[in-house]
Amino acid sequence: MNNILRNCRSLLNKNYNYILFKNEHIIFRRNYAAVRKRFYRKTGILYNDGKYEVTLDQRKLKTPNGNLFTVESEPLALAVAAEWDTQKEKIQQNSMYLSTLCNTAIDNPNNLTKYDMVQYIVNYLDTDTILFQSNENEELYKLQVQEWDPVLDWFCNRFQVKVQKSREMCTPAISDEVKATISKHLLSYNFACIHGYVFGVDTLKSVILTLACAERFLTPEKAALLSRLEEEFQLGKWGRVEWAHDLNQQDLQARLSATVLFIHFNSSSWLTKQKSLL
Amino acid sequence: MNFSASLKTLRHITHELRQSSPQGSLKDSLVLRYIFDQYHKFKTTEQQVCKAQEEVNFIANSYLCYLRSTRKRQEIHDQYHGRGERSVEETARLVGFKLPHDPK
Repeated sequence: MNNILRNCRSLLNKNYNYILFKNEHIIFRRNYAAVRKRFYRKTGILYNDGKYEVTLDQRKLKTPNGNLFTVESEPLALAVAAEWDTQKEKIQQNSMYLSTLCNTAIDNPNNLTKYDMVQYIVNYLDTDTILFQSNENEELYKLQVQEWDPVLDWFCNRFQVKVQKSREMCTPAISDEVKATISKHLLSYNFACIHGYVFGVDTLKSVILTLACAERFLTPEKAALLSRLEEEFQLGKWGRVEWAHDLNQQDLQARLSATVLFIHFNSSSWLTKQKSLL
Repeated sequence: MNFSASLKTLRHITHELRQSSPQGSLKDSLVLRYIFDQYHKFKTTEQQVCKAQEEVNFIANSYLCYLRSTRKRQEIHDQYHGRGERSVEETARLVGFKLPHDPK
């Protein structure tokens, strides 16, 4: 027993700060880095070697892993610079979703490959939010049919596939052809975009809604609303609590719109070509 | 989307950027300059090969949504986020008491 505890302690010493009492009760304390104060006045961007960098005064912005922050698209770099500029006294990095997305794509802390991520997204399709519709509340079911089914129809038309929704716990599994079609579509994007897609899917809990939003069928506000449809339905009956529902709504919208911007700026279609004037 | 609607988006974006700017002015905002450039570029499509104007508007609206949601989220967070325990003075004032050493 003592041996186990000792091993445990040596492990903990490395990773966590903890308090140990006499009778060996361990209390975990997770230490968060203190919020940094704003240490720069102006933010800007630089063009270097085909890529854009963000500057904070004369310093170059770096990612959490210490890599140089570079993106390929000018508007994205500008948006990130603007985001750093909006930090007032303290730098609230947890709410800077655009920077976070870029950082994750640059650092790739989990060492994921594009194929891993596409596989993750495609497997998510099995448990897509809008494929599971209510079997308890008829009113809610009607709302879901009215709001979700058009998106489902769009999805089936856009990718020429067939998926079935369900009112039961278990659905007929998504067929391999559908998965192949979607992964083929996703693989046509670059590595950074797929990071964006994963972030979007995790935000909305739905691959279909994320694709609909990235393909401009739904606005970010609408997609966030559809993702929270049941919540919205319930709070219509039980009342709205600002610090829970509104906070959640705004957070989802911010995350999703960051995803949309990130995907658009990283996909090659954003590059505009100007025709030479005659 | 028609012309006035896209102008409305532009006005909202400017408003959000001004609100979130620490100086409160957008005199040397790079991002705003870029957005104005884009608006000029996509105003007419005769001389340029450009994507559907709709797409640009969609991106502008998404950016507006991003700025607005981030600000609102922060406002709600600031309003409700716990500030730790109240001090003795604060608690006393809350219930209308004074501390022994306060003047009467």
